[in-house]
Amino acid sequence: MPCRVLRAMIRFENVTKVYDQTTRPALDSVNLEIDRGEFAFLVGASGSGKSTFLRLVLKEDRATSGAVYVAGQNVAKISSWRVPRLRRGIGVVFQDFRLLPQKNVFANVAFAMQVIGKSRSVIRDTVPEVLKTVGLEGKEHRMPHELSGGEQQRVAIARAVVNRPGILLADEPTGNLDPTTSMGIMGVLDKINQNGTTVVMATHDDDIVNEMRKRVVELRNGVVIRDEAKALYTSMIPVVGQSRRLKDASGRENPETGVPGDGREGEAQR
Amino acid sequence: MRLAFILSEIGSGLRRNLSMVVSVILVTFVSLTFVGAAGMLQMQINQMKGYWYDKVQVAIFLCSEGSTAAGCAGGPVTSEQQESLNTLLESPAVAQYINDFQFESKEEAYKHFKDQFSNSPIVDSVTPDQLPASFRINMKDPQKYEIISETFSSQPGVETVIDQRQLLERLFSVMNGASLVAVSIAGVMIVCAILLIATTIRLSAFSRRRETGIMRLVGASKTVIQLPFILEGVIAAVIGAALASATLWAVSHFFLGEFMSRQYPDTAFISSGQTLILAPALLILGASLAGISSLLTLRRYLRV
Ligand SMILES: Nc1ncnc2c1ncn2[C@@H]1O[C@H](COP(=O)(O)OP(=O)(O)O)[C@@H](O)[C@H]1O
Ligand SMILES: [Mg+2]
Repeated sequence: MPCRVLRAMIRFENVTKVYDQTTRPALDSVNLEIDRGEFAFLVGASGSGKSTFLRLVLKEDRATSGAVYVAGQNVAKISSWRVPRLRRGIGVVFQDFRLLPQKNVFANVAFAMQVIGKSRSVIRDTVPEVLKTVGLEGKEHRMPHELSGGEQQRVAIARAVVNRPGILLADEPTGNLDPTTSMGIMGVLDKINQNGTTVVMATHDDDIVNEMRKRVVELRNGVVIRDEAKALYTSMIPVVGQSRRLKDASGRENPETGVPGDGREGEAQR
Repeated sequence: MRLAFILSEIGSGLRRNLSMVVSVILVTFVSLTFVGAAGMLQMQINQMKGYWYDKVQVAIFLCSEGSTAAGCAGGPVTSEQQESLNTLLESPAVAQYINDFQFESKEEAYKHFKDQFSNSPIVDSVTPDQLPASFRINMKDPQKYEIISETFSSQPGVETVIDQRQLLERLFSVMNGASLVAVSIAGVMIVCAILLIATTIRLSAFSRRRETGIMRLVGASKTVIQLPFILEGVIAAVIGAALASATLWAVSHFFLGEFMSRQYPDTAFISSGQTLILAPALLILGASLAGISSLLTLRRYLRV
């Protein structure tokens, strides 16, 4: 058991998250393990609980019940003054890039190092290296508004990984980008994953998922309804038959929940 | 590196919020000036107590030409009356209460009067005849004034017995009242200062929520995230406190030191050096006001 916990970079044990007592849980008894060095897609319609999953990993929110382990550590047991250390081990990128508009590319990436007290010389050495990894060499002095969306997302990725986190969480990183640009971003994330970083990407971009053929965890109404290796994306509004067919195809065991009455629940949610 | 980073954050915060920062400076300046004014009044009271209490205590004024008091029916004091008063003061019954006493003749009284009002035209219209001679008594226990008053008021040749301390006490109670008013105004202004600092910090945290959000995500510590905001308020408040200290120094140097002490050369005013003792207290008060109010604000508005 402890051995399994250590192999898993992220481990959810029966995790339920309730934001509001009057509505259904955002996550409902989720059991999931993501291993060190793995690349996993978190898919599902909007409102299915993908962002909530990522927020629980970051300890941005607390699980209502169950336990979240990150690198073997139960995040509920991390005291608030040590939460920053947890977050240094996790990089995050978002759909909206979240760059600082008045700082250039170099300064945006350097910011992540400055605020955790890295020395000027380390920053000078590391930032260009990371910018090269994400394919932005020579653009150090551009301002965010002088970059395309794809380039801005590359800056955000560089900032997320510049402190060499073990985990990279990406919440719909291609949501604002056209398909070609999106594929470029996926290349960058894949490269980062090749270097040993565990990547979890929430998305509902089926082309990308189908192209990448990585592990797919599908959420619906906060319940994991599918967890498949080297998988494809299911339709955004899956019907009972379709999800059953895919489950059969994958050969993986699925939780019983979420199968009967799926369609009705999905509609009520929208 | 981290220090340089925090400093540059503070700089940008102060620049971004300039008008709010200026109002924090002004409000702390005004409120701490009132706090300091109350302090100065108290210092002045203590100074005057120390200076006057062992100089003037009880004065027995003797009858002169125009005295209308009951004891002066027999006209100005005679030398026999004066002699018997002197004997009475030296008698054991009275002497046990006093340290020493002095006789002040009309001429000496005139001289003191001239010294005291040297730059006032009133001096020219007063002659030695108009000023009464007196015995100046230094009491062992100033509270025993009643005994002297009872013993001497009815003696022939005595116009009146005055406890000069009581005159001073009246002055001091006016000054105490003034310092109470200053403290009350200061209290209201301090509440304003706290609220304004809280609002400023909140606006500042709001205008930089993008930065702080990123700082949180990349694992910046609470100190690195919050310190720039706290120091922003503290710096503004300390500037206000420094202005208040400078104002109080200027008041004691120019108003008390140059103007008032020329008007009342007999009164010991506090020196500008003494006023500076208040400066560290005001600086600490200002800094802690800002520190506490920004800490409380940030706990609510800047999640870490
Ligand atoms: N801060 C919040 N407060 C209340 N409800 C929330 C909050 N965040 C998310 N939710 C709800 O939780 C559910 C899951 O949301 P989310 O995790 O954002 O889904 P996704 O990222 O898959 O779109 C939704 O029903 C959403 O309305
Ligand atoms: Mg989301």
